Amino acid sequence: MQRYTLNDRNKHVEDFQVRDNLIATLKNRFTTYGYKQVRTKAFENYEMYSDITGTVQKDDMIKVIDTTGKVLVLRPDVTIPITRMMTAVNQANDVFSQRLFYVLDVFRQSQEMPNQKESTQAGVEFFGENTPEVDAEIMMLAVHTLKDLGFENFKIEIGHAGFFKELIQQAALSEQDLQQLQALIQSKNIADIELFLEGMPIEEELKRAIQSIPLLYGAPDQVIQQAEKIIRSTHMQHVLQNLIDVFALIKDYGVEEYVAMNLGLINNMNYYTGIIFQGFVDRIGQPVLMGGRYDHLGKQLDKEMPAIGFAFEVDLLIHAILEQGLAEAPNKLVDAVIYYTNEKQREALTTAVELRNKGYQVLSFRNDSSNRNPISSKSIINFEKEQNLFSNEQIKQTFSKADELVKLLQGHKEGF
Amino acid sequence: MQSITLALAKGRPAKSTIALLEKTDVRFGDFHEDSRKLVFFNNDRSIKLLFVKAVDVPTYVEKGAADIGIVGKDNILESQADVYELLDLKLGKCKFAVAGKEDYIPEKGQQLTIATKYPIIAQKHFEKKGEAIEIVKLNGSVELAPLIGLADLIVDIVETGNTLKENGLNVLEDIEPISTRLIVNKASFATKSVEVQQFISQLKSALE
Repeated sequence: MQRYTLNDRNKHVEDFQVRDNLIATLKNRFTTYGYKQVRTKAFENYEMYSDITGTVQKDDMIKVIDTTGKVLVLRPDVTIPITRMMTAVNQANDVFSQRLFYVLDVFRQSQEMPNQKESTQAGVEFFGENTPEVDAEIMMLAVHTLKDLGFENFKIEIGHAGFFKELIQQAALSEQDLQQLQALIQSKNIADIELFLEGMPIEEELKRAIQSIPLLYGAPDQVIQQAEKIIRSTHMQHVLQNLIDVFALIKDYGVEEYVAMNLGLINNMNYYTGIIFQGFVDRIGQPVLMGGRYDHLGKQLDKEMPAIGFAFEVDLLIHAILEQGLAEAPNKLVDAVIYYTNEKQREALTTAVELRNKGYQVLSFRNDSSNRNPISSKSIINFEKEQNLFSNEQIKQTFSKADELVKLLQGHKEGF
Repeated sequence: MQSITLALAKGRPAKSTIALLEKTDVRFGDFHEDSRKLVFFNNDRSIKLLFVKAVDVPTYVEKGAADIGIVGKDNILESQADVYELLDLKLGKCKFAVAGKEDYIPEKGQQLTIATKYPIIAQKHFEKKGEAIEIVKLNGSVELAPLIGLADLIVDIVETGNTLKENGLNVLEDIEPISTRLIVNKASFATKSVEVQQFISQLKSALE
């Protein structure tokens, strides 16, 4: 027989409980902000992803060919199909604001991690409005959810796609130079940015402005002050005003301690159109959530539609709560175990069903059953020829009717 | 204060970095060169020091196993790690260069074969010039490759150029200067901002 390596992090029953609890926490919080759950297909049209500026590289997508020769792709991201859904629904009418969330697996391949092709994302998308209130609320939702999960030390970094984009337009760089500069700014490599700009035909003041972008990091009030010094157009002024407005709202939510400004956050600059943000928690090297405003995506799908959203990387979150000891201990106990003799079979089985109707977890075994491994439960119920006996750590008592038994179990639950 | 984890490349960069840190009063009491220990703490245990192979430092930092790494630019470039590169320590200065035999004459229209320990850097360099190349990845004694016809040229680190000269090779083109850099995990920069910034400014002042 061929031996297969079990390549799955979630190989234990308990792991799934942790995952399920975590997802329930996320769903619950999303719901309290008025978000409704949706799902999208696992197989999608390849063209929908390849023709649109998104956040996934074409090489990273997993393609499949169906019997007609059509190329499909295993859902590499959820935002594009959800936006597609919304543009189709709203084609004829005005876009009403709409809040949607999803918990779905996404599929990507990369050379660096060949064994990790699927991961779960839990995300929200808000369509139809572009206001600082919406931006701040969605960031509050991110903070709120991280708090729900028990994280204490975490940070949401906020940047803006427009600030750097506007600045760099004035420098008129070639595509290749721009890419190199972007990489240097994303790594905050000030030493090499200076070297890079040295030979460029760019005026001194603009050079200094570009060089200061990576340093625009930290407490929002300070960063906003510093950023004001390098404003070079009315558009940049608007962008900064947008950030100021959003931050004022975040202050009113009372969560400014969890927020840092990072104007060097310029990843996927051609996809995002406004605020960009990402969240970090202790001891996890990668962002556990990423998101931003992507007003252009609707236009690429034939319907202008403002939108903002973010997604949690569920697998990273699970890793984080386990690492930080925040996961609830999975419950291995059942509420009650019933053992019965042959002549009491009918009574024992109907009692088991009655208890289950009331919501108790119950296992039942015949006395002579070969499977008499000790089952962990605090309450043991024995149906014997002469008597019915209930026992737990505190008491041992006989009973005759089911409702007496329920009382005994309740007593146990209330800590008799 | 949270403690920070520092990954240091074994070898020369480690020694000079530790000397630099001592200037800022960060001392690793039980550290000495011949020790086989891989983990050390400074006196007040606010810094945990990991000794790892230079090529692994960017990985440790990118994955968050270390908050801060100190390692040569060559390894950062080759790993393409997504990290912050915040400080040039100006130690271990050398450069990446293309080298070939002294009598090497480029032939027009012929695809070049490049021997190197750094396939990504070589690839990127020739891509930028619009030249398609074939790469032979070697792990040492790269200078040998052009001599025995395994490759037309090599891409390697050049410090003094002595090794090249002794093997009858010349630098044909400089690619990029190299020196020891300080890199930081992006999450640590957000969640341990105060500690990380303080460490960097200490190191900066020691450099001046």
